[in-house]
Amino acid sequence: MSNNGKREAKVTVNGLTKKFGELLVLNDISFKVYEGELLCIVGPTGCGKTTFLNLLSRLIPPTKGNILIDGKDADPKKHNLSFVFQEPSCMPWRTVKENIAYGMEIKKLPQADLDQRLNKIMELVGLTESANLYPNQISSSMEQRVAIARAFAVNPDLLLMDEPYGQLDVKLRYYLEDELVRIWQELKSTVLFVTHNIEEAVYVAERILILTNKPTTVKSEVVVDLPRPRDFRDPKFVEIRKQVTELIKWW
Amino acid sequence: MSDIQSAGSKRILKILPYLSLLSVLAIWELVVDTGLVPNTLLATPIQVIELFIYKLSHADPDGSVLLVHVLTSIGEALTGYTLALLIGIPLGLLMGWFVVAEGLARPIFEMIRPIPPVAWIPLAIFWFGVGLTGKAFIIWASGIVPCVINSFVGVRMTNPVYIRMARTYGASDWEIFKNICVPSALPMVFGGLQVALAASWTALVAAELIAADTGLGFLITMGRRLLMPDMIVLGMLMVGLTGVFIGIVIDRVEKRLVAGVRR
Ligand SMILES: Nc1ncnc2c1ncn2[C@@H]1O[C@H](COP(=O)(O)OP(=O)(O)OP(=O)(O)O)[C@@H](O)[C@H]1O
Ligand SMILES: [Mg+2]
Repeated sequence: MSNNGKREAKVTVNGLTKKFGELLVLNDISFKVYEGELLCIVGPTGCGKTTFLNLLSRLIPPTKGNILIDGKDADPKKHNLSFVFQEPSCMPWRTVKENIAYGMEIKKLPQADLDQRLNKIMELVGLTESANLYPNQISSSMEQRVAIARAFAVNPDLLLMDEPYGQLDVKLRYYLEDELVRIWQELKSTVLFVTHNIEEAVYVAERILILTNKPTTVKSEVVVDLPRPRDFRDPKFVEIRKQVTELIKWW
Repeated sequence: MSDIQSAGSKRILKILPYLSLLSVLAIWELVVDTGLVPNTLLATPIQVIELFIYKLSHADPDGSVLLVHVLTSIGEALTGYTLALLIGIPLGLLMGWFVVAEGLARPIFEMIRPIPPVAWIPLAIFWFGVGLTGKAFIIWASGIVPCVINSFVGVRMTNPVYIRMARTYGASDWEIFKNICVPSALPMVFGGLQVALAASWTALVAAELIAADTGLGFLITMGRRLLMPDMIVLGMLMVGLTGVFIGIVIDRVEKRLVAGVRR
């Protein structure tokens, strides 16, 4: 899986810099995300991970630098982006099904395609039975699955996930991590997964980028070349986890 | 609240309201009957009920039967109120999301808002006379304020995560407004309906007190002119009852609508 040398770059980030007034948050960040890759970004709290994703999705403008998707400037109106937010993002006035369909509606998918994809993705995340429930009738882990299903449903060029499982308990997190890997393998999307949970990163990622404290740059990169399904107790797993932990400790 | 009350106190709570109402009526009747308050100043409850029954079928002395007054008032109120909703809600929603709409409408709105609606009465009579149009205008002016404010605030309170979510899918400003801001503001908008109704009803009665030839406010004025305290009290009670009645109807309609956009 780690034939990165040969893989095509899906996203290229060049010298990305962000200042809020005088506060330099992101300092000259450059890296590539490969086509179909599941890339994790770990970094200390407040280092600018969310800011970074907001830049990638063009919710806020960069101070300097650029982001290219397939060689063109990133633009949510042209590119197919998805964002799974840390906060619950299901619209309470739409059913599970309507929430999942929302991204596809914006993309103006023909109704037949939309229905077909909708059914497939709901099957994939196990929400078919809850299709007509409202968000206040489902649990918060199901809500997060709705958000994930909505994000995958548009077949994104780039899927951004901002600590999507931060609020959930361990058991659900394991379950949803497996689910993420499964959907990603099935749909072959390019995924950028932000977390501060090292174990989570090693469990899901093909490659991990480690960020420094503010002003933030990419400190190093770790390729996780383990077969799936992965095992937390596998000595190789433990070794990589330790390696990442060390990298994070030494600023 | 009800959980902490014992069964006994609940039973008492059922009886007490009737008891207090009855005693007020009894005291009211007594103070007039005993001459403590002269009958020329205050009608007794029995006189009011007698007049109520009489006015059901008799147009004199004020010119119309009771039902005509009630219907006039309701007609004026609903005309002005409906116009207030039709203009105020879209305006407030647009102001909440589109910078241009806020920039243009806000200064005018803020200038007009502190003027109490009843202050418009003289101008309204000037422009539209004492008929339905003038009164509808005054009601419109008082009802539109809560409509605009609630819709505006409703849009402003939209959870920014939904907006960011829509943006990352490439939604246009108009799509975000339509798909996210408006449905998210609806509970606030519905909350404004009752407030607007209360404001409208108050303004209506004030307008009719000053200029009208039918309507419940007019009935009160005629009571004063004809020195009939029973007619004044009847007018007051009818204003209250009709207001409650409209409130219940609006509440029903609102519940239907909210059920339609259930969450
Ligand atoms: N709109 C803004 N204006 C000013 N400063 C901001 C703004 N957004 C973020 N910051 C600052 O930028 C820094 C990075 O914030 P950001 O939310 O991106 O961090 P994070 O890595 O996502 O943190 P966490 O792990 O807590 O989610 C913080 O110091 C924050 O105060
Ligand atoms: Mg964050």
